[in-house]
Amino acid sequence: MPIHDQGYRRYAGRKRPIGTAWWVIARQQIRTVLSQKRYLALLLIAWMPFVGRVVQIYLAANFQQAAFLATSAQLFRSFLDQQGLFVFLLIVGASGAIADDRRANALQVYLSKPLTRVEYIAGKLFAPLVFVLSVTLLPALLLLVVHVAFAGSLTFVTQNLYLLPAILLYSVALALVGTFTMVALSSLSKSRRFTALTFTGLFFFTTAMYQALMRITGSRLWALISPRDILSAIGDSAFRMPGQRALPLWAALLGVTVIIGFSVLVLERRIRGVEVVK
Amino acid sequence: MSIIASEHLSKWYGQVSGLNDVTVQVPAGITGLLGPNGAGKSTFMKLITGQLRPSKGHVRVLGEPIWGNPALFQRIGFCPEQDAFYDSMTGRQWVSALAGLHGFDEATAADAAARAIEAVELTEAADRKIGSYSKGMRQRIKLAQAIAHQPELLILDEPLSGMDPLMRRRTVKQIKEWGRAGTSVLVSSHILHEIESMTSNIVLINNGRIVAEGDVHHIRDLIDEHPHTVSIRTTQAHAVARELLADEGVVSVRFDPGGLVVETARPDAFYARVTDLAASGRFGPIHEITSPDDNLQAVFRYLVKA
Amino acid sequence: MSGRPDLPAPPTFAAGAVRVFSLSLGEMLWSRRTVFLLLVTGAPVFLALVARIVQGSGVVPLRVNGAAVDGGAIFGMMIWIFFLRFIVPVLGVFYGTSLIADEVEDRTITYLFTRPIRRGAVLVGKYLAYVVCTTLVVLPSVVLVYFLLVPLGQVARTFTAFAADLGLLALGLAAYGALFALVGAALKRPLVSGLLFVFGWEQIALLVPGYAKRFTVAHYVQGLVPHAMPSDGVVQVLQSVLRDNPPAWACVLALAGVVAVSLWLGVRAVESREYVLDQ
Repeated sequence: MPIHDQGYRRYAGRKRPIGTAWWVIARQQIRTVLSQKRYLALLLIAWMPFVGRVVQIYLAANFQQAAFLATSAQLFRSFLDQQGLFVFLLIVGASGAIADDRRANALQVYLSKPLTRVEYIAGKLFAPLVFVLSVTLLPALLLLVVHVAFAGSLTFVTQNLYLLPAILLYSVALALVGTFTMVALSSLSKSRRFTALTFTGLFFFTTAMYQALMRITGSRLWALISPRDILSAIGDSAFRMPGQRALPLWAALLGVTVIIGFSVLVLERRIRGVEVVK
Repeated sequence: MSIIASEHLSKWYGQVSGLNDVTVQVPAGITGLLGPNGAGKSTFMKLITGQLRPSKGHVRVLGEPIWGNPALFQRIGFCPEQDAFYDSMTGRQWVSALAGLHGFDEATAADAAARAIEAVELTEAADRKIGSYSKGMRQRIKLAQAIAHQPELLILDEPLSGMDPLMRRRTVKQIKEWGRAGTSVLVSSHILHEIESMTSNIVLINNGRIVAEGDVHHIRDLIDEHPHTVSIRTTQAHAVARELLADEGVVSVRFDPGGLVVETARPDAFYARVTDLAASGRFGPIHEITSPDDNLQAVFRYLVKA
Repeated sequence: MSGRPDLPAPPTFAAGAVRVFSLSLGEMLWSRRTVFLLLVTGAPVFLALVARIVQGSGVVPLRVNGAAVDGGAIFGMMIWIFFLRFIVPVLGVFYGTSLIADEVEDRTITYLFTRPIRRGAVLVGKYLAYVVCTTLVVLPSVVLVYFLLVPLGQVARTFTAFAADLGLLALGLAAYGALFALVGAALKRPLVSGLLFVFGWEQIALLVPGYAKRFTVAHYVQGLVPHAMPSDGVVQVLQSVLRDNPPAWACVLALAGVVAVSLWLGVRAVESREYVLDQ
């Protein structure tokens, strides 16, 4: 026909399979973070300790005088502890994950799309998880690879096979606890600043509470109220650190499960398309 | 006397110019501030309400500089565009508290709040939390806080936004009443026909500059490159057309069902000519003469979208 | 609006501040933020309760780091560890930086800045509301902790020190709040600056010998504390070694000076700054 219809036409192309909408949210979050110079700078600076450790491994592998710097499980454990500051800052940077959406009344918009609440939450969790693992798990695994490269043999790895699951367990526990807690807190407020402060307060305060209760009662079980000490106990167990641990591994893992479970409960209650004002 | 006067007023945000060399006098009465999105209306509103400091130039409101002059707000009521409130307060509490900031004691502030809430027809919902209000109710409570202290000058930024059609009509009527009672009102809006129903006095802004100010009809007359369009309802359209085409000022004639549409560059002379024709009766009855573009929309279209 | 009545004169600075105080106090006290405040100040009460129960059980004597201590000493430690090092500065950062920033973020600042009161009066009014709100929550917590830990027989002996604690905590809240009100009014990212000041600069300055510590609020607040400083870590041991105790009158004067200067500068900042709201 000579004159074509200019009216609306339904999209007839391919669509993503149902259940993949979370990736759209996650991708947008990642792009937003990477477009901000301060976060890029933070991510870059977070890799500086890795460079330091590479130098340490190189020196230990090639110079007899530097034998005291030899690679051990302690190196990986202390590296991951060192990354704690960057992990904290990255997680605090995610304080607006849901708070910003609540402020902009965007939850209703999101949940009116073919997107379940689970996908929404998964999308929000993904970006901070990825960034935290990129400064913990990834460089720690690379350090193992670097050691093999400089040492020229797999001896260390084969003699310390537990290191791989230890790095994985500790990094993932760190990332999951921090991310779930922050995203859950973010769903409770419309202010990212309030969320960041609450997270910071809880983080430091629970540690102080544990220390005080431990000294008063003599019991280390109070570590269960301090996420920082729970994670430390996991690290101690996973890396087979000698000395007294705050908690046995099973108790620490239970603590992590409770924290994540509670966060999920909060998210389930808070992520709704409507809010009832009384 | 101008209630708002700016002289070479400019405002830039870093490299971006929000307002560019604006010199305008807004007279007493009701004035409409019009412009497309991003034209500079909000920047102008913020400058005349003392929220922003001019980068260059001056602005005076009610004869006094506004920046750093909070006492002037005793005489000004401002209804901002943003939908932001203390959601946990009731409408009455909120309006009373803000009225109290004008120096009223508690009882007087409560009375003033009650009167203002009644004026915007929200008395029934006044004791509910603002967080539970609909968009239109929120808009009305915003108006209430602006009028509670009975200011001399009302500055309303998109006051009809979110209101249903009935409420819009009532609010327009209310604004006209305030104007008649002696309050000067500056209304910013995108909705041309509603501004037109409130006032014929406009300030048109585009790309950070004032494009036109004054009476909309007068402005229309001045737009030379757009001949006036006049619609004539008559049964003898062709005969009338032949007669009118002889006039020098007539640019074009076209026919539509029931009559003809004429474009003329000399509207005053043309109207006189058509009146004579109608009075002579030579071409039968002329039922109606209208000018579809002697209005705000046409002015807006010609000046802004050209 | 016919028959326009005679309007009252615009409120003076002080009257404007009082009116903003009335408006803000209710909002502050009944906000979700106060839940956080209650949790934070409730924690020491919980600890005191646990300590009291342990003490009352008589099974295990109360020890700290292996040495038996009485309730009064524990109270002193809690003043240091919880209130001075954490609660007071964090509340100062939390509330102080938010006084104006929250209104800007919520876009309600327009309603306050288009009233016939000086912008500075808005800041001062909100600051006063912060002081009342935080002291109303923090000081009762301290009172509860005191009476839970200190046996009744020792109350008469320790009451003066306890009163001093209440006073210095109130003064600390006022000083930190004023300082961070200035930070919140003047800077774009007040929260980060505030946290860096409290957990960065103050901790380092208290370690460094010389005059650096005089540029902290903690130095003067700690100078008023009647209890011994606990040595619960390397940093704290170093701080206690390098600590110099200015006289009480100097501390009070310095803290009052911090409040006055910070508020004055904050008023100037608020009155000269433009607040561009997010659309």
